[in-house]
Formats: sequence, structure tokens, C-alpha cells
Amino acid sequence: MGIQEQYRSEAAALLSSGEVKLVIGFGEGSTADRRRPLFARTPEEAQKFVLDAACIANLSTYLVTEGLLSDGKKVAVFLKPDGIRSVNILISEAQLKPDQVVILGYAIDKAEITALEGRNISDFSLGEEIRSHTPPPHILQEAERIEEMNPAERFEFWKAHFSKCIKCYACRQVCPMCYCRRCIVDVNQPQWVSTSSHTLGNFEWNIVRAFHLAGRCAACGACDRACPVNIPLRLVNYRMGKEVIDAFDYCAGENSSQKPVLASFKQDDPETFIL
Amino acid sequence: MTRILLRNKLDDCIAAWQKAGFSVFAPVRQHEMSSFGEVQKASDMAFDLVLPERTIKDHFFPQTEPLIKYKIGKQQIDSETMTPPDRKRVFFGVRPCDASGLAIDDPLFGWDYKDDYWFRRRDNSVIVTIVCTEADDFCMCTSVKLSPESDKGADVMLRPLANGAGWQVEAVSERGTALLETIPSLLQENSEPTAPVPQVAEKFDLEKVMEWLASKENFESQFWKDISLRCVGCGSCTFLCPTCHCFDIQDEGDTYAGIRRKNWDSCSFSLFTMHTSGHNPRNTQSTRWRQRIMHKFNYYRGKFGVNSCSGCGRCTRQCPVDMGITETLQAISNLPR
Amino acid sequence: MIYSPFPMRVVSKRAEAPGVNTLKLEFVKEEDHEFFKQNYKTGMFGLYGIFGEGESTFCVASPETRKDYIECTFRQSGRVTSTLANVDAGDIVTFRGPYGNRFPIEQFEGKNLLFIAGGIALPPTRSVIWSCLDQREKYKDVTIVYGARTVADLVYKDELDEWKKRDDVRLVLTVDPGGETPDWQDHVGFVPTVLEQAAPSPENTIAVLCGPPIMIKFTLVALQKLGFTAENVYTTLENRMKCGVGKCGRCNVGSVYICKEGPVFTAAEVQAMPQADL
Ligand SMILES: Cc1cc2nc3c(=O)[nH]c(=O)nc-3n(C[C@H](O)[C@H](O)[C@H](O)COP(=O)(O)OP(=O)(O)OC[C@H]3O[C@@H](n4cnc5c(N)ncnc54)[C@H](O)[C@@H]3O)c2cc1C
Ligand code: SF4
Ligand code: SF4
Ligand code: SF4
Ligand code: SF4
Ligand code: FES
Repeated sequence: MGIQEQYRSEAAALLSSGEVKLVIGFGEGSTADRRRPLFARTPEEAQKFVLDAACIANLSTYLVTEGLLSDGKKVAVFLKPDGIRSVNILISEAQLKPDQVVILGYAIDKAEITALEGRNISDFSLGEEIRSHTPPPHILQEAERIEEMNPAERFEFWKAHFSKCIKCYACRQVCPMCYCRRCIVDVNQPQWVSTSSHTLGNFEWNIVRAFHLAGRCAACGACDRACPVNIPLRLVNYRMGKEVIDAFDYCAGENSSQKPVLASFKQDDPETFIL
Repeated sequence: MTRILLRNKLDDCIAAWQKAGFSVFAPVRQHEMSSFGEVQKASDMAFDLVLPERTIKDHFFPQTEPLIKYKIGKQQIDSETMTPPDRKRVFFGVRPCDASGLAIDDPLFGWDYKDDYWFRRRDNSVIVTIVCTEADDFCMCTSVKLSPESDKGADVMLRPLANGAGWQVEAVSERGTALLETIPSLLQENSEPTAPVPQVAEKFDLEKVMEWLASKENFESQFWKDISLRCVGCGSCTFLCPTCHCFDIQDEGDTYAGIRRKNWDSCSFSLFTMHTSGHNPRNTQSTRWRQRIMHKFNYYRGKFGVNSCSGCGRCTRQCPVDMGITETLQAISNLPR
Repeated sequence: MIYSPFPMRVVSKRAEAPGVNTLKLEFVKEEDHEFFKQNYKTGMFGLYGIFGEGESTFCVASPETRKDYIECTFRQSGRVTSTLANVDAGDIVTFRGPYGNRFPIEQFEGKNLLFIAGGIALPPTRSVIWSCLDQREKYKDVTIVYGARTVADLVYKDELDEWKKRDDVRLVLTVDPGGETPDWQDHVGFVPTVLEQAAPSPENTIAVLCGPPIMIKFTLVALQKLGFTAENVYTTLENRMKCGVGKCGRCNVGSVYICKEGPVFTAAEVQAMPQADL
């Protein structure tokens, strides 16, 4: 039995036994190479699940949908390691209760797809894997290229990209870590961030988002893929994450009992930022 | 015999238009994104695109537009209305769906109160469309009763020659005729055959869809909740839509001076309709998605006699969760009755 | 140009109730004033603004029979209203309008009029009331039913006194149970109940009803009981607005743009709209 069939029947069983009220997975997309999020509430609907190497989205973002888990019932969700990492972060930030999420884990290696053992978040230990995780070569290459630029060149690089931003907030909406009910950019008393989408306003927005994700990003690349104007957002978050590892020896989402890095401190934290 | 413009005359053509006082815009690729941008020569243009990622709307209804500049003094407040530039522009290589998008929005921006910001640009622009020779999986112009060779919104329409050497040229409006008069020597008589127009299959039955939407009892249908479950409520399908026209007005500046701006806004956003009291008539994503579909295929038609969709397919092409107008309309069209 | 407002000078500010103020504004430029005089009809609204903060939608609370100035009454709630609440006489604010449709008061001629308002919603009603009282001879009986949560929340207190004294106006005042003061002489009870007790005749009568959605809902039921048809009841709708001129796309209830086709509707028209969008 392939993993797709295995997870279809497992999802169906979870639904028919009433253990979960909903399974979030993937279904056929609008073209042969697309997969789309699919919500199954009945065993029959679970037969529509598709699981293959095209299932790259991080579905954990739906777990923080307003009201979804407020009834205390459980939800099952198809997750790759980056999704599991997101769940760890969400739990450590008290946005999720560990026992409300059943994980149907899988990993993609090139075109190969394998099932991950364990169904509860505590069954997964990601530590080593994600700390040593490096982004795909083309991103790493681009990151190194930017690293080598002088500040003026680097500014030009980001200016060219950020001036394309249209403030559609797709990056925020698909991001599991952007769960604030009222995002700082939507607050108008006072208006912290200008709502206009001109180069300056776009810089403000993208910098605010980068800071709010420092040490919290699960590196799933959802924002990068969602951005309709192709801003390489992954580069921003990769760099911020690296910064946090180097400064605080902290890698977000290694496990669910971590304390959020910006909400905790250690005796030996560097204090280079304190003047 | 018809007139043609050869590809190798395009540089001269751009030069002639510039001499006649026009800035020339065409599809370009810049910083990993395709859009309409100003060009100086033919080689700046990206001709291989089925459709640029960004629409031509950007140049008529920009994402942020200054309306009024103000200065706040001790004694008084000075304000100055800012008018959009009225430079003459040629848009070359526009796809028929994008050109239709402009024509679709005209009645809205002219509805009793004329939006000068839109019309000043419209009145000074000439739209040169190129009939499509290629369509992708997302194109749906025929589904909304337009076509890859529709001349709606066009001033001049070009049909690619089968041999790829240039385009057959046809003026479809007075403005278009006038534009061609600036390049008489660059056009030649010829009877080369034109390239075939792609067959774009109809993806849904528009009549059936409109009928279903018009029926009052369907407004509260469970259908809306089911179909919109995975929508994450971003603004990208509306911002990249050539016909979406909603906006916000915001003052932006410091204590002493600033600018009042007209900024794109979207019915997908939860704050779009939220009252200060906290009451929100469209407080769920499904009610917002319903608004989007109803506005495009029911309300707009009722007011202006045309659907607010030109079938470009961008809403599906770039949706982060693979939603879009097409799937919903297909689903409605397939509902049993 | 379309989104450019008229500068207005604040003539006076009057505190009406906790958090509620009335501004009296006059036009700085004569041509703007001319435009207003030619176009303003009772029921219309405008966008009142202050540069640096933005614009907010309020009805024009002054009647079409008095067009030398504009009055607006608003509750301090968000960014713009908080700033407007702090202006002083002599300050410059802005006004864009008048926009929207109107109460068709010439069709009300020769009829009895029943005005019903709740809370802060007296302003739009007050505009029609004065527009009619200033041509009193054209209308038959005039009844005003007005209720607020507490005595302190009643707005236009001077005018309430004035209406009370007039013998060609029947004024029925009420406050919600618990909102009365020891010396309160008028009714205690919710508007729909008090209305039913006052029992105005539906015969040849037009009702104008403004208030919070919940009050409108129950008052409509009361009116129906009294025998009013939905065609003879007028009300106003509020939705979030930005442009005021049918462009920005946010104020619609179903296919109806409140800013262009409203804010004044008959109850019959409102009932025909998709209720979920309200
Ligand atoms: C036709 C009409 C007539 C109105 N008449 C009055 C009146 O006479 N007195 C009164 O106190 N209030 C009235 N309102 C409601 C009033 O417009 C809002 O309470 C006010 O806009 C809140 O603005 P704010 O800037 O302080 O709040 P913020 O939350 O800071 O506002 C942000 C923006 O949202 C918009 N907005 C938020 N809520 C509303 C809303 N309910 N209606 C319209 N726009 C909104 C405003 O345009 C503003 O630009 C009316 C609304 C409408 C539509
Ligand atoms: S997804 Fe891209 S365009 Fe949209 S707000 Fe984010 S960075 Fe800007
Ligand atoms: S349909 Fe897609 S693009 Fe549109 S709001 Fe929903 S998630 Fe965003
Ligand atoms: S609704 Fe979709 S297909 Fe229609 S014009 Fe807009 S983006 Fe294109
Ligand atoms: S679909 Fe939504 S954003 Fe687009 S024009 Fe209609 S109401 Fe506006
Ligand atoms: S307020 Fe902008 S459309 Fe009605």
C-alpha cells in the first residue's frame, strides 16, 4: 500500500471513529501539477486525498484559523517536517494545544515520498535535522551572493524587490506564524505602519514582518511561494533565522517545549545590542 | 490587402511615437516579475509572455495614488489637489483580456461622479492589443463571452503573422486611427496570412452561473461556506485582477505635512467593511468570497450591463491555495438543478 | 476634482451627551457654499474630515430649509471622530458632499408625520423634522418619538424642550429602564414598547425611523402591529464608507450601494436586501 492509500484509510478511520472532526490534507488542483488544500469531514471525503511530491504547502497555517479548535475537538493534518516545526512553534507560543492535533507526517526527498512515524507532536524529534537544515542550493547561493554585496548594492537589491510589493498580505495570510487577529499594520490608532504601498511603505511592512518572524520562522517557504510579485522572502527569513542561531544558539521549532527566544533570556546571552 | 507592421520596424515605430509626444509602454520582465513598463526599444519588450503577471490596470489605477497634499500650520491648513500626469501614452502589446478590463471599469469610474484620476489617464492613452497565439491552462476569456481576438477596449488591434515577422494592423477606434497616422511609412500593404488564434475551451456555462447567482435563496446557500474553506483571505486575487477597482483613502504623513492617498483595497480583507463599532457585515471569509463572486457576476452586471471579469485567469494562476473565480463558477455551473 | 473636500470653518461646538458633539460649520469659499445650497436635500450625508487623520461619514444634521451652515452630530469612536471632537471654534475642517439620496418630503405633504429615533440616530431624523417644521403648514399631525439609553444620552436637549412646548408637535420621550433620573417626567421603556402605547394612527401617515439596527428591527415589528405598511416607513442605513460616490466598493448591501442609492430607503426596500449583508 502506498503512502497515499495508507493515509486515506487512516484519515477515514480517524473520522469514522470520531477521534477527529476534520482532516486537512491535499486534493487534486486546477492543473496536473498543482495540489490544493482539502478539508475532509467524512470518511468518503477522505478518499479524495492526494499525497505525492507536489504536496509542498504547509497546511499548519489552517490550524490557527479563528475558532477552528475552540470546541476542544481534534483535527488531523498532513505535515512535512517544516509543518511539524511550525506546530512546535505554535505550541511553544501557546497558540495550539498539543493534544488537539493529530499529525499525518510525510517527507519528500526529490520525487520520493515517505511516511513519518508518530502521530502526536511529541513523537517527532526534529532537533538535529532542522538545525543543520540548509535551504535549497539556489537559495543558499543567492543568500551568499547578497552577503557579499556592499551595503549600497544590498540596499538596491532589496529596493528593487520591495518596490514591487503590492501589500496583498498573501505572505502574512499563508504564514502559520502570522496568527495575530489584528496585525500591527491594521491598527490605525495610532497608525504604526503606513498602509500605502509605495517603496517606503513596502520597506516598512517587509521589515516589520521580518522582525516579527525573527526566531519564529519555520522556513517552510510558504510566503515566498505565495508572493504574487516574486519577492524572495525566504532570503529575508533565512538570514534572520541564522542571526538568531548565531546570537542566541536558538533554533525555532526544535521541540514544543522551547520558550520563545524573544520572550526568554539566558545568563550568557550576548548583549551587543545594549548600548 | 491589409496593412502590416514588421517586427524589424518596431524600433522606428517607438521612435516615431516618442517624436509624436507619446511614452511607450509594453510588457517587460524586471526583477523577476513581468508587468507593463516604459520601453525605449523593441528589445526591452517581453513578447513571449502569455500574459504579464501584473495587469495594465497598474497604469490607470495605481496601487497608491496621491490625491491631496496638505500642510498643517499653526494658523491654517494648506492643501493642494494633486492631479495625475496627463502625458500621452501608447500601450503596446496589451492582451485582449487586459484591454477589456479597462473598458469594463470605465462605467464604474464614470458613474455620475467622474473619477478624474482614472479618466485623465484613460483619455491620454492609446491601447494597442495583440491577438493571442497562445493560451495557458488558466485563460478563460471565452467562458465570460470574450475571446482571444476580442477588440473590446482596444484602439488598435494587431494580429500576429503566421511567419512571425510582424503583425497585421487594424485601427478599431478613432484614437487608434490617429495613432496609425503617426507611422504611415512604417506600415505596408501585404496579404501574409495571420497565425491561428488558440482554441480556449469554455470552462463553465455563464448563463447558468448568472441565473444561479440571481436567485435570492442561493445567497445563504451552504455552497459559499464549502467552496471558500481554504481561502486565506489575502488580496492577491483582487490586486492582480484587471477589473477589481476597490480602494481605501488614507492620510499619511507626520504632524506637519502629509498626503491623502487612494490605495488599493480588497473585499477579501476582513477589515474592508468593518465598522468602528466592531460590527462587520461580512465577518467571515465565505461572506467575503460570496461578495467577490456576486459583485463580479451579478451586482456589476445589474448596474453597468457587463460582468466585472475579463477572463484573464490571474486569480487562479497566482492564488497561494489554488482557488480563484474559475473553480467556483465551474462548481456553480455543475450544480444539479 | 472628485476627492477634494471643501474647507469649512468651525463656528461652534456643542457637547450633546457623553462622547457626542455637534459641530456647526460654515463654508470658507462662497462658490463651495453655492454648490451646497443648490444640491443639499434632507437625508443626504457628507464626509467630514481633518487632514492628517482622514474622513468620516455623518449625515447632515441641519435641515434643507437652513443652508447657511452645516451641522453634524457625531459620537467619538475612532481616529477621525476623536480628532474632530477636539476642534475649537475657528478651526478649519473639511466637508465633501452632499452625497446620497434624500427623504422625499414633498411626497409627505398633506400627510401626518411620525418620527422615531433612538440614541445618536436623532441627527438624520432631526434634519427631516426641521425641514418639515420649517414648512409646518404643508403637513398634518407631527409626532416625534425619541428614546435614549439614559437621560444623559439624549441629544439636542434644547430642541427637545422647544418641541415639547409647541402645540403643533407631539413629543414622546423615553429612556431605557434604569436610565431615568429622579426628576425624569417622561416615559421609561424601550422605544418599540413606548411607541405601541402612544399608538399613532397609520392612517395617511408616513413614519421616519432611524436608530441602531436592533432598535430598528423591533420598532418595525411594532409599526407593523400598529398597521403601518413597509412602503410608508422610511429609514436610513449605515455601512462603512470611504469614497461616498460609488467607487471604492465597500458600502454595498447586496447590489445596493448605500452611498449612491441610499442612505434613505423605505422599510420595504430594506427588507428586499440580503439581510446577511447588513
Ligand atoms: C450615511 C452614514 C451616516 C452616518 N451618520 C452619522 C452621524 O450622523 N453621526 C455619527 O456619529 N455617526 C454617523 N455615521 C457613522 C460614522 O461614519 C462612523 O461612526 C465613523 O466613521 C467612525 O469614524 P472614525 O474615523 O472615528 O473611526 P475609525 O475606526 O478610526 O475609522 C476608520 C475609517 O473607517 C470608516 N468607518 C468606520 N466605521 C464606519 C461606519 N459605521 N460608517 C461609515 N464609515 C465607517 C471611516 O470612514 C473612517 O475613515 C454614519 C455613517 C454613515 C454610513
Ligand atoms: S506577498 Fe509579496 S506583494 Fe504581497 S504583501 Fe507580501 S511581500 Fe508584498
Ligand atoms: S482566493 Fe486565493 S488569492 Fe484570493 S483571497 Fe483567497 S487565498 Fe487569496
Ligand atoms: S476575476 Fe480572475 S479571471 Fe476575471 S478578470 Fe479578474 S483576475 Fe481575471
Ligand atoms: S471583487 Fe471585490 S475587490 Fe474586486 S471589484 Fe468586486 S468588491 Fe472590489
Ligand atoms: S462609499 Fe465608496 S462605494 Fe460607497
